[in-house]
Amino acid sequence: MTPRFVTGLGIACALGTGTDTFFRGLVDAKRLSALPASAVTSFDVSKYPDARIVEVPEFDPTKYLGDKGLRTLDRLTKLLVVAARLCLHDAGIKKDNLWVALTPERVGVVCSNAYGSLEAITELDRVAKLEDARYINPAKFPNTVSNSASGYVSIWEELRALNVSVSDGNCGGLDAVACADIFLETSRADAIITGGGEAMSEALFLAFQKLGVLGPVTGAGDRTTNGTVTNDTRLGEAAAFLALEVPEVARARGARVLGEIVGYGTSFFAPEESPLVYASREAMKRAITAALADAQVAAGDVDLVVSSVAGLPQLDDEELAGIRDVLPAVAVVAPKLVLGETLGAGGTIGMAASLAWLGGAPIAKDLIVGGALPSRVRHVVVTSIGYYGNASAVVLRAASA
Amino acid sequence: MNMAILRVTGHVATLLLRHGARYTAPVRVFITGVGVVSSIGLGKDAFFNSLAGGTSGITPVEAFDVKNLGRAFAGEAKGFRAKDHLTALEVRRMGRCSQMALAAARMAIADSGIDAAALKGPRAAVVLGTTMGEADVLGDLDHAWIHKGAAGVRRAWIPKYGSTLLPIHIARAIGSEGAVLTLPAACAAGNYAIGFAADLIRSGKADVVVTGAAEMLQELQYSGFVRLAAMAPSKCQPFDLNRQGLILGEGAGILVLESEAHATRRKAATLLAEVGGHGMTCDAYHITRPHPDAIGSIGAMRQAIERSGITPDAIDFVNAHGTGTKHNDAAESKVMKDIFGDRKVPISSMKSMLGHCMGAASALEAIGCILTLERGVYPPTIGYETPDPECDVDVVANVARSGAHDIVLNNSLAFGGYNSVTCLAKPYKLPDPPPFSRRAA
Repeated sequence: MTPRFVTGLGIACALGTGTDTFFRGLVDAKRLSALPASAVTSFDVSKYPDARIVEVPEFDPTKYLGDKGLRTLDRLTKLLVVAARLCLHDAGIKKDNLWVALTPERVGVVCSNAYGSLEAITELDRVAKLEDARYINPAKFPNTVSNSASGYVSIWEELRALNVSVSDGNCGGLDAVACADIFLETSRADAIITGGGEAMSEALFLAFQKLGVLGPVTGAGDRTTNGTVTNDTRLGEAAAFLALEVPEVARARGARVLGEIVGYGTSFFAPEESPLVYASREAMKRAITAALADAQVAAGDVDLVVSSVAGLPQLDDEELAGIRDVLPAVAVVAPKLVLGETLGAGGTIGMAASLAWLGGAPIAKDLIVGGALPSRVRHVVVTSIGYYGNASAVVLRAASA
Repeated sequence: MNMAILRVTGHVATLLLRHGARYTAPVRVFITGVGVVSSIGLGKDAFFNSLAGGTSGITPVEAFDVKNLGRAFAGEAKGFRAKDHLTALEVRRMGRCSQMALAAARMAIADSGIDAAALKGPRAAVVLGTTMGEADVLGDLDHAWIHKGAAGVRRAWIPKYGSTLLPIHIARAIGSEGAVLTLPAACAAGNYAIGFAADLIRSGKADVVVTGAAEMLQELQYSGFVRLAAMAPSKCQPFDLNRQGLILGEGAGILVLESEAHATRRKAATLLAEVGGHGMTCDAYHITRPHPDAIGSIGAMRQAIERSGITPDAIDFVNAHGTGTKHNDAAESKVMKDIFGDRKVPISSMKSMLGHCMGAASALEAIGCILTLERGVYPPTIGYETPDPECDVDVVANVARSGAHDIVLNNSLAFGGYNSVTCLAKPYKLPDPPPFSRRAA
């Protein structure tokens, strides 16, 4: 892969909203399993007394977007638009919401989400079934379409080069990088804000609770694998964008470079006899191997793996085994243990955290799930394992001098 | 020139440059097989015959109760029975959208004559588009939740929901191990998927990609379009003065794309069409309406033409997005005027026959374009009665027309301001493709 310079970050997650807040919060982040349950604001949890959910604290979109035009937007859209606006400002592409570098026609969006329209669909289904389909609010109907949130990002931020939505489950945040890479290489844009989002809703929580993956799982008991407290997945929400640029464009405008994305790999491997829900160690191994080859980085040069380990043993064990197949001794961290399972946003959040560590920030001990921390971080592999046999990996390196 | 090494991976020559970048040599991409599930026929031949004959697939809705909605017609794929194409286990694991996608994929693979072994392994990928994916699975879950509470939600149904599953099911069935990607680009999703699949091959990341899109007719989606006042009563009349809107449809259009080297190496491959340039822009204007000046759509069409290495005068026919709504058809007519000037390039909308199959629309219509390229037949816009001065275009009205058929454009617009255009051509009618990397140039 031609290096893609990361010139900006916009983020809203369990640690707060904004890059500085995120980087500061990451330094002494605590595992969610060690924290008391926080109050839930996105839906009525009185029916779910054991709900363990991680929301973006004190999220107030009006602070960033004003108070007009928000009424019919769903939570995911608000999170993503805020993250996009922060990203464009952090990258120096916009200032005070005005364009100061590049042009709207040359800046695009690639956005991942796994279950983005769930909140809107369930809300309108309820209206249709309990009242009548004739009472569906037409202004909210567009929110039921998967790419709606991404479309609103373009509308609010005036991004016209292209807009591409990716729905690839847990791997979507990293797979968005693969799309952006191709679009930048083929000069469809000079910069692409690339990321993902997932918003909390009752339907999303109920689905994961019914699947029995939100911990602690009664009766199973916690167990420790490679330092991971398992059976303790917390469902989270987040939105994040990285501004990716080709080096010559970033250099020409004197952009600050937070890090470089230099490799991507993906794989799908599900034997015929495997169940539909299947975490694949083999796919993880192949994805990492492909990403390192793409980056032309040797396994021995990798300092840190930022995994998607989230406290669910069926997935975590396979992911860690796949990582260890390629990188047997490298330190592995798991941001989801402090941020929650953020699904389509997870890969982007992993890359965002990597930027902090590539910049020299200390790594909180609660994040570590294996290996000894390196003295410095120059190359990071970010991994995501999917629920259906897919896995992806991205290689980042510190910004060139 | 800082070229250092020439490496051959799969069937693609890759130049490794000193600074680490890799640029693949220009690669032609061909469509070698297609599969169709639609309201006007299953499989390529039935689909082509219906398109050429101006057959309407718009019939009264049977999938759900529409009595309170004020609209009652759709392009339902009533002839599709999943068990005719899938195993019992596959039927149980999937919602209708994935079932249609996998059935069409099997037809496409059979049509391509590709050996099953060629689809296995890391050089084969699956890229699919959709708007709402497994909408029936979520509908069932929702209805159980609403009527029976959380206890009524069946755990076993939950993993069947999610747009990401469409390519997963196909990858599992064929044994591909490369990228599995869903691009939910609403009504332009088919074009997005085909364009990206071609780019995957051109970039050297895959030799063969199973691509296209699928969409199923679902109650909430249908109701929503009625509430948007976008749905016509009983017929879809694109570009007609008295057009009253769209009629929803459903189906799946799947294509097998191969690199030239991969297709020619297996001598059995029939090259149905070549995938040329792909244009893509975003209006950033309104979530449901196209930009009134069609700036983004014009840009996407210009890109598709320019990235094919041709000029507008090489285009023989345009398959319109042609939804039959006031805003869409007027905007699209502006695009035609801007791109082609006074030259009246024939244009037609298959949605007049198929209904608007949402995410699947531009994939099905890309396959319809192959009918044009193969036989020189322009599918008609049926129901066209009264010219609209605001749509001053050469509509192929009511009856199929014959004409030049070397290079065509497949146009699509979508919610979110998405614009996407794909150029399709008879094999080797396009000039040598440009280098994949425009940065290298």
